[in-house]
Amino acid sequence: MDESPLPATIRDQWPWQPRFARANGWRMHYVDEGTGDPVVLLHGNPTWGFLYRDFVAPLTQAGHRVIIPDMVGFGLSEKPAQEEAHSLDGHIANLTALLRQLDLRRITLVCHDWGGPTGLGFALSNLDRMRALVVMSTWAWPLPPAEFHTRIFPWRMMHAPLVGPYLLGRHNALAGRGIYLSVVDRDKFRKRAQPAYDWVLPDPESRLVTWTWPRWIPLDATARALERFSWIERELAECRLPALIVWGREDDVFDHATFAGRFKQLLPHAEGPHLVTGRHFVQEDSSPEIAALIADFLARHPGER
Amino acid sequence: MAAINVITTPSLDGKRRAFVLAEDGIGHYPEFRAFFTDIFDLARVGLQRPGYLAAPSGTQYALVFTGRSGEPFPTGVEIYALVPALEPLDEEMVDRDLWEILRWMIGGVGGEWTLADLDATGRLYRLPAAVS
Repeated sequence: MDESPLPATIRDQWPWQPRFARANGWRMHYVDEGTGDPVVLLHGNPTWGFLYRDFVAPLTQAGHRVIIPDMVGFGLSEKPAQEEAHSLDGHIANLTALLRQLDLRRITLVCHDWGGPTGLGFALSNLDRMRALVVMSTWAWPLPPAEFHTRIFPWRMMHAPLVGPYLLGRHNALAGRGIYLSVVDRDKFRKRAQPAYDWVLPDPESRLVTWTWPRWIPLDATARALERFSWIERELAECRLPALIVWGREDDVFDHATFAGRFKQLLPHAEGPHLVTGRHFVQEDSSPEIAALIADFLARHPGER
Repeated sequence: MAAINVITTPSLDGKRRAFVLAEDGIGHYPEFRAFFTDIFDLARVGLQRPGYLAAPSGTQYALVFTGRSGEPFPTGVEIYALVPALEPLDEEMVDRDLWEILRWMIGGVGGEWTLADLDATGRLYRLPAAVS
């Protein structure tokens, strides 16, 4: 265990002991609080575990062990300087390494954004370790993409060749303003949360994956992760794990009608979708409500021991 | 687009190449690779020499193209400002020049990639060079 490197203003909201593991060749940061069946909370791009800061207390008080990893390239985890260090399969393997190293069983996996394909990739290849799934503002199939992701303005332009390194690298546009644009209460976000997302991505090199991850979102049949996404969709349709779908009512990246609806088709036994206040980064607006939904859901689905 | 000019190999006497931006995936959208290939005759020139640009500030830039086994050339490009050897960079100037290089590139790529969308993206994310 190490001392937190975070400044006091961020530690006030994220006071937990930082822990580090060697996972699949990378230094991976995570927090591990409470006791009980583990709930693993997975962030996406360009966030880090901080996104789940208001989940820790209610879930540990509900009798769960809460584990929040920072994906490699984000937060306090190692940030490889080479684009080739990042792939969907590689990120799934990173997570698999961490969760096996912790020897977690009866896992509830909470997936958001890229935490969806990554977490579901782990869950569907480690079903014997799983208890339940929670999905929010994410996707799990190759095509079609979200309409937002097909648009030149602003999405494809933002990470276009050279534009991506300039806009998201030099100017930190995704963490610096992108999250802000994708929350409902922007004033609260700017005052309370924005510095924590900026602080962990201080230099252009540290932001590499913020512009390379968008390039992995399949837009057509030539996409490089197409087969993995197809596998995730096939396996998810066969999955009988208890599942909960939570979505931001105002989500304009993965709109709930299309995306929560498709998860419901794939997982017809799932509860929800429960709509809460929130755009894409729904945790920034509705953490207490979502944490309560998860705690209640797990209380009603104890699973087999 | 007239703000950026392709130039012949400039003198490097008394100058250094200062790294300012890199792109490892110039072919993520193939039309971007095609643009640079056409502009700098890369199918013929290959790795023999960089491409050179003069920016609105008067600063010259070297575009060093990179290749990776098994992928079409070029796979990437590194941009270097040619600056007085021992002087620090004027970061604001470089930032404005890079924005003009991006505008030159988008204007040249064309098709569905428009200057209007680039400028709108720059304004949305409040880039200093795009809102000034």
